[in-house]
Amino acid sequence: MIKKRTLPELIAELRTNENIVNWYEMQPEEARTRPFPESVDSRITAALERRGIARLYTHQEEAYRLAAGGENIVAVTPTASGKTLCYNLPVLQAIAKDDTSRALYLFPTKALAQDQMSELNEIIKEMGIDIKSFTYDGDTSPTIRQIVRKAGHIVITNPDMLHSAILPHHTKWVSLFENLKYIVVDELHTYRGVFGSHVANVIRRLRRICRFYGSNPVFICTSATIANPKELAEQLTGSPMRLIDNNGAPRGRKHFVFYNPPIVNVPLNIRKSATVEVNHLAKEFLRNKIQTIVFARSRVRVEIILSHIQELVKNEIGSKSIRGYRGGYLPKQRREIERGLRDGEILGVVSTNALELGVDIGQLQVCVMTGYPGSIASTWQQAGRAGRRHGEALIIMVASSTPIDQYIVQNPEYFFDRTPESARINPENLIILVDHLRCAAYELPFKETEEFGPLDVTDILEYLQEERVLHRNGDTFYWANQSFPASEISLRSASQENVVIVDQSNVAAVKIIGEMDRFSAMTLLHDEAIYLHEGVQYQVEKLDWEHKKAYVREVDVEYYTDANLAVNLKVLEIDRTRSRGRTAVHYGDVAVNMIPTIFKKIKLTTFENIGSGPIHLPEEELHTSATWLELTEPDPELGTKTLEQLLLGIANVMQHIVPVLVMCDRNDIHVAAQIKAAQSGLPTIFIYDHYPGGIGLAEDVFKRFDEVKDAARRLIQKCPCKDGCPSCIGTEIEGIDGKRKSVQLLSLL
Amino acid sequence: MSSLREKLSRLKGLSSGAEKEARPVEEAPAAPPALESSEPEDGGAALETAVQAAAAAISETTVQATSQLTDQAAAQATDQATDQANANADTPAVSGVAPDGFLHPAFKKLGIVEESNAFGAFLLRRIEYPLEHRHGIYPLGALVDYAACLKPVAYRQNQARLDSEGQERMTPRKKKKLSVKDAYRLPLPEPEDTGKEPGAIEPGRLLFFDTETTGLGVGVGNVPFMIGFGYYDEGRARIVVEQTLIRHQGEEKAMLQYLLERMNGRTHLVTYNGRTFDWPVLTSRFILNGWRPNGTEPYHLDFLHPSRALWRNTLESCKLSRIEAERLGIERHEDVPGSLAPELYVRYLNDGDASHLEGVYLHNEQDVLTLVTLAAHFGALLADDPANEIAVPQAAEELYRTAAWLELHGRTEKSERLFSELAKRGDAHAERWLLPAADRYKKLGRYEQAVELWERAARKAEDAVVPSIAAHVELAMHYEHRNRNYRLAADYAERALELTCRLPVFGRENPKRREERDALEHRLNRLRRKSERG
Repeated sequence: MIKKRTLPELIAELRTNENIVNWYEMQPEEARTRPFPESVDSRITAALERRGIARLYTHQEEAYRLAAGGENIVAVTPTASGKTLCYNLPVLQAIAKDDTSRALYLFPTKALAQDQMSELNEIIKEMGIDIKSFTYDGDTSPTIRQIVRKAGHIVITNPDMLHSAILPHHTKWVSLFENLKYIVVDELHTYRGVFGSHVANVIRRLRRICRFYGSNPVFICTSATIANPKELAEQLTGSPMRLIDNNGAPRGRKHFVFYNPPIVNVPLNIRKSATVEVNHLAKEFLRNKIQTIVFARSRVRVEIILSHIQELVKNEIGSKSIRGYRGGYLPKQRREIERGLRDGEILGVVSTNALELGVDIGQLQVCVMTGYPGSIASTWQQAGRAGRRHGEALIIMVASSTPIDQYIVQNPEYFFDRTPESARINPENLIILVDHLRCAAYELPFKETEEFGPLDVTDILEYLQEERVLHRNGDTFYWANQSFPASEISLRSASQENVVIVDQSNVAAVKIIGEMDRFSAMTLLHDEAIYLHEGVQYQVEKLDWEHKKAYVREVDVEYYTDANLAVNLKVLEIDRTRSRGRTAVHYGDVAVNMIPTIFKKIKLTTFENIGSGPIHLPEEELHTSATWLELTEPDPELGTKTLEQLLLGIANVMQHIVPVLVMCDRNDIHVAAQIKAAQSGLPTIFIYDHYPGGIGLAEDVFKRFDEVKDAARRLIQKCPCKDGCPSCIGTEIEGIDGKRKSVQLLSLL
Repeated sequence: MSSLREKLSRLKGLSSGAEKEARPVEEAPAAPPALESSEPEDGGAALETAVQAAAAAISETTVQATSQLTDQAAAQATDQATDQANANADTPAVSGVAPDGFLHPAFKKLGIVEESNAFGAFLLRRIEYPLEHRHGIYPLGALVDYAACLKPVAYRQNQARLDSEGQERMTPRKKKKLSVKDAYRLPLPEPEDTGKEPGAIEPGRLLFFDTETTGLGVGVGNVPFMIGFGYYDEGRARIVVEQTLIRHQGEEKAMLQYLLERMNGRTHLVTYNGRTFDWPVLTSRFILNGWRPNGTEPYHLDFLHPSRALWRNTLESCKLSRIEAERLGIERHEDVPGSLAPELYVRYLNDGDASHLEGVYLHNEQDVLTLVTLAAHFGALLADDPANEIAVPQAAEELYRTAAWLELHGRTEKSERLFSELAKRGDAHAERWLLPAADRYKKLGRYEQAVELWERAARKAEDAVVPSIAAHVELAMHYEHRNRNYRLAADYAERALELTCRLPVFGRENPKRREERDALEHRLNRLRRKSERG
């Protein structure tokens, strides 16, 4: 039998690997601590001491001091720095002092909420104080619900549940709302974009109800490192915040390595696939029994890597000890995987950014990222999954050939020296605001003078009155409608209707194996699509669009599918314009029509195209805000064909750069190029928010357009390819001198 | 840059919810299918007809009842209503609230007056009925005769609270800092005041009530816009129905205060599904208007539960209207279905035309009266009055359920009579009641009667297309363990085994059936051994 190698040995070996382009070493750090403040109940300190906590880290102590003094705080802490004590300590202290005190914990997902409850209950048990903490989510049984409402000191839930089950039934929660001392918002940084904009409005509703019951709770937020934690927390909670960022937790030595796959086609600058490289790297760690997490950027990618790795090590490790993890798995399955990782039973996990969040899976030794995760903040979050308090940890980012990946590995200082991105929300998005005003009016009547965020909402209330949703009497707007508004509004996506995935492989035992939002389903669950779930391939036999069901059957094929989406844009209104010489940049409202056209079958091993087919689905329409660049006097010498290629190339670069600059999910913002835009007949590049009504991303792009433009130009210039490659403007097109002309075009803007 | 309003109107068609059809929440009772599927326009037309019919019907009732209106006044009011309706067609009213003292003619026609208290005004309709007035198969006065008999029903429904009554009073309520709101803690009826034992039922201390709400479910946005009360006025020997209506939500607090006044001195709320719907909805409204619950529930007498106990298997549904038609002899002529009430009220809010609500008033009034009839009916069933067996049901299934229900409520003698009546019935239909009735005799140790029913059930099973072997198994057990007639026991076991083999098996055999057969084979072997030895 071959001797197993240790992590330090493997690290030493990796140092000589020629594909490593940057090696960054983070030195170990000592802990900085302070004693427990005197005011802390002795039963709490005793319980913590028994758990090996004799002193507080500096950030924990500061959090306690400020929160107990009635200040709203946002604590920024890296993974595994004991952030939960930042809120548990003040909360437990408040309840130990006064049994009527109540606290509400908000976690972005059910999984995190359940984790938190088990951790909290362990401490409470040791304290010997009768404090009841409960999770309240869709899985809570009706009998338990009654108890939680009446007697729960700490109610742990998620924003969706708060929105649809707690706030519209607030009269059942009198004892919670009358005595609410603290509202804890964990994983603050996840509340951005569409979701964050919704949650900010849910919190407005929550505060309104607290005011009605006469309570004025303190907010305690915790966040991963982002550029604007204080601003985000203030926007989200509508309250002034104190920032805590003096992390006092210790850290072991960490190696952060950039790995660029070798070039296999020099003229076209085509590199070896990142997926293939990741498979081999991960295999090496796993066969030496080193616990490893692999991050991939899409659900499909997760499944592909999972099946490859399982295949590579199948003779050495059982396939059950390497698992996939992503949204769409059923909760029970996920709990089982988390537990397996904590107790070491599961050796490797391949995950989407679902595990970026604070789900407790213990600390692993190695983290491998398949491509740049899309933002600096996200990268640090994923990197935080590897690293124990003592001993070494290794993080490898394997670059893909996309422009932004190549830009990052070739400019490591961009990543290591820059502050992470800002998280942006736009709670004033009209559709979101109107939806939550309806919910708010359902919950409590609106006075004309009442505030709901910074905007004057009287106009909207009057509009809802005309729509016969509200009824006005004197200075008060009352709910006057038969519906239950919260059930019509989903916080997570533009459409509430998810597509349910039904496995009918076994006719006698048809079962639901997952679900997917409507927009993703257009391109991932169309007829004949190959859908991967836990490494198993399924083919979609029928997508029943009307009833939102996809019927799948297990298959064993050598390919996966990739769908094309045709997009059409129409300008509805121009709000702002900046003209400069031969170009103009506009910001305004657009209508986007989307329709999936065809899908391609791509061979798993070689990634070559082996067939295609049509997709028949109805068109979807989206009204949103956009920023667009118009060439008012295009150079006639370029020729239409060439110009079109240049625009497509620049759009490709921008699609990668913009989400990084404005910090949003790739799916939140889209870029499209048109050689003859419908409204002007001019060559145009559109950058639009992928959400009805827009969420402020395109507006941000409008303000920072020069930054976007410069980043695009630098990226193209710095790319080592000869004249265009998939890492910048797309594949080279013979004879148009695309790279030089693109740079020229961008310089003219 | 476009204004907020312009953007709103552009987004209108796109907003995910604003223009969506109202969607019933989970708890919602399903609307009648005809209405569910119809387009808004059709629904509108249907409503119109329903309203007109109801308006015609209501003038009839007002005459019948001892209303404050004379025929002449009613006719006059109808004319006015028509004029007003015509006027409304041209000039849309801004709000449902009329200037001081002015009431819409449709309200006047119904004899409605403005009532006010410390919290403001609301509308009140009051109708008195003489005790002889028949509502279905009973005169309303039957309530006075039979109310006391309802005690065991009330006791079962409020058991938890009645049993803990002593302790409940001992626990001091924590003092809340919200001093103003404290003043309005919800005063619940105090049964002790009556000087009788808790749970006793006096006809004058019952408050019948039914609400009409703006929506479905028990969310905080569902507002009861009308509360109908019914009670027995002992001094004047009348059944009084009162209906409160709010013209807008600003009047809610005053209406709730009126409800509290009506509850005062009364012991039980008598409802149909009020325990899980009307009262929780009202509790929310109290809280929203500044009251705080004091931790106790009022005593309920919710007739949904006994109705289900009796009629679950014999009526197509336990909706009040079905029970009225099938069991209480009450016919509703062109009634506005309760499910339309929310929409009619919203129409009233929008155009101020009170004639939309006429049908709702009538419907609600009928509901309240039916509660009185139901009280008489259940009371009569429970009464120990051999001379009065008017309520004995015809169908064996219902007879069984009635007998079992009476037994559950401690009416053993009467129940016994019904059970022996039941044994005489030779129903041609599948007799679901045979086994449970036999089981009861078995538990009581009256094996002879049990065997008789088991044998009947066994005969039925042998003729059945899909036979059940339960009776055979019971008989086999009986003859083996109690009678020690092993041969007969073996005979039943063998026949049971035959029956199980009669059913075809599809694909894999149901494991439950497999187990059942194994057990039978096991029993049969044992019995054969025993009978050889014996």
